[in-house]
Amino acid sequence: MTDFVLARPGKSRRPDLLAYAALSLISAFCAVPFFWVLLASLDGNAQLFLSWPREWTLNNYVRVFAEEDGARWVFNSLFVVGSATLLVMVLAGLGGYALSRTRAWWKQPFLYAILLIRVLPPTALVVPLYKILLTLNNIEGNLVRIFFGGDTARAIMRWIGFIDGYLGLILVLATMQLPLALWIMKTFFDGLPRDYEEAAVMDGATMLQRIRRVLIPLALPGLAAAGLFAFISAWGDFLLPLILLSSPELQTLPLGLFRAFLRVNTIDYGFLAALAFIYLMPAVIAFGFARRFLVQTFSGGVKG
Amino acid sequence: MINLRNVRKFYGALEVIKGVDITVEDGEFAVFVGPSGCGKSTLLRMIAGLEGIDDGDLILNGKRINDVPPDKRGIAMVFQSYALYPHMTVAENIGFSLSLKKVPIAEINRQVGEVAEILQLTDYLDRRPAALSGGQRQRVAIGRAIIKKPSLILFDEPLSNLDSALRVQMRAELQRLHRELKATVVYVTHDQVEAMTMADRIVVLNKGIVAQSGHPMDLYHSPDNEFVATFIGSPKMNILPVMLSRPEAGKLRLENAMGLSISLADGDASVATGEAKLGIRPEHLKVSQDGQGDFSAEVVIVERLGVETYLAVGSPKDPIVVRAEGDLSIRPGDRVSLTVDLSACHLFDSNGRVIRRPQTL
Ligand SMILES: Nc1ncnc2c1ncn2[C@@H]1O[C@H](COP(=O)(O)OP(=O)(O)O)[C@@H](O)[C@H]1O
Ligand SMILES: [Mg+2]
Repeated sequence: MTDFVLARPGKSRRPDLLAYAALSLISAFCAVPFFWVLLASLDGNAQLFLSWPREWTLNNYVRVFAEEDGARWVFNSLFVVGSATLLVMVLAGLGGYALSRTRAWWKQPFLYAILLIRVLPPTALVVPLYKILLTLNNIEGNLVRIFFGGDTARAIMRWIGFIDGYLGLILVLATMQLPLALWIMKTFFDGLPRDYEEAAVMDGATMLQRIRRVLIPLALPGLAAAGLFAFISAWGDFLLPLILLSSPELQTLPLGLFRAFLRVNTIDYGFLAALAFIYLMPAVIAFGFARRFLVQTFSGGVKG
Repeated sequence: MINLRNVRKFYGALEVIKGVDITVEDGEFAVFVGPSGCGKSTLLRMIAGLEGIDDGDLILNGKRINDVPPDKRGIAMVFQSYALYPHMTVAENIGFSLSLKKVPIAEINRQVGEVAEILQLTDYLDRRPAALSGGQRQRVAIGRAIIKKPSLILFDEPLSNLDSALRVQMRAELQRLHRELKATVVYVTHDQVEAMTMADRIVVLNKGIVAQSGHPMDLYHSPDNEFVATFIGSPKMNILPVMLSRPEAGKLRLENAMGLSISLADGDASVATGEAKLGIRPEHLKVSQDGQGDFSAEVVIVERLGVETYLAVGSPKDPIVVRAEGDLSIRPGDRVSLTVDLSACHLFDSNGRVIRRPQTL
């Protein structure tokens, strides 16, 4: 912008104003839904159409947690998506490094093949995926039941089951997010000179020291970007939890939102808006945290 | 003292280092020089231990270190990119190797302080590398090497990231450091000027073999082959294709297509007749405008620098370069006659091996 202004001092105001006007319009367009949801969630008598609340109240939020299982849904969502993100970051960090450094012939075919996971619509894969997970789940369930009693086994399977258990959903969510994360990390490591590691080798760093004190700090911007994308995308996923979870204790936020919407009697817009706003927050917060790293990653990475 | 004996390196079937013998004495500043891709970095990385050695011996201070891990060799390396960790301060970068060894913090700080003193980095210890100038980063990279008190320091093209003014300054700086630290240095560059100005010993590499090794002036005055002759010295030595004949016993006749025809004493008659190459540096061709020279040629390019004048004569594609003192008022298209200073000429056989050195011609 400054160059532009300096180059043509006489004409600078009009294009500037136009640009700002256009940007403001676009921002407003993006912000309106958030604003709408926020307003409706604070309205004691929210309707389908947006209106200025006549009575302000936090009652909708209170009901999410007091009358419904809101806290449980938030925990489930955070736990499942957080674990999947963590898994993606670890695997993408290690795998991206290997893919960047290897000279193996299968490198390019592999990189394009994993993108397929991302390209195919998950809906099309649901049936075979469910079938595989169900088979695994049954085998696992039988094994667990051999070692523990029926009740304990059920409690354990809630955590490590492939169907209607945290583990299955975490693994599937991570799988969906891994390809993009691998690409991000591979590209990131491509831009990181080998000299860094070799200098550490010359200084006598062991493999673990090299990873902990050199590679991880250097890769942090890339990992943050990969983790951010994985988190936001997995957080927004609705189909997979819908299919893989059935127990009420395992419901996640989008499922809670969906089921509240389907209730038989009248639709409670205030309650839905409050739930929706709670659902929005983590993604917005995650973006706020990772923005700094994102800019670094996509504007040339680390310069030494 | 470091010794390389018949050292080889293969990448797959490709042999990149083809049996190299090099000795560098204690305290020497040795420069490996050669065109890009000749294997300089590979050789340096083999000495450092970052690449394996496929054949031959690497001997440091009398001990074979082929299989010693890099950090146990007592060798430090300064990388071309410097490889300073952006997430650490200057002090942390310099002290990194000590902190890996769990040296107490106070001791690390003391040693970092000492090194910073030598390198004039004391005021920058708390900065990140991103906040330093090119020359300062270079010094941090050197600091990280010398804090290990290595018996050998390796440099891989350390000045190639700097602009030319800073490069001249850092050349002097590196030489000062070398004198102060009395360290043994192996320095890799593709720039023969860097090699000539800094080296106690130059090793010229060409396609994975040592073309010649020795004191810079020995290489300049007495190259073993055409490659070294043309690589060392700027502007480079002219190579004129000539025919050698022996019109009578004890006489060697040397002729070329431009009308050059000189007679030499043949000595022991060991030189084969036929095609050969005459090497003449630009300063050993004298311009005479009276037509009395050894041969004459048309001038294609004139570069007048005031104190000296460079002429390119002969064919425009492959001209002969002549350096003349002072400012000559010769223009392109003029014909000049040239005298060859026979006492400074080199004679190479058709394979480029030297067959007559200056003074013996
Ligand atoms: N890891 C490698 N795999 C295969 N060939 C290599 C590898 N590293 C270097 N080479 C080849 O070895 C030769 C020497 O390389 P290098 O030592 O980097 O040259 P220099 O430093 O003199 O420019 C080059 O032809 C290069 O292509
Ligand atoms: Mg190199």
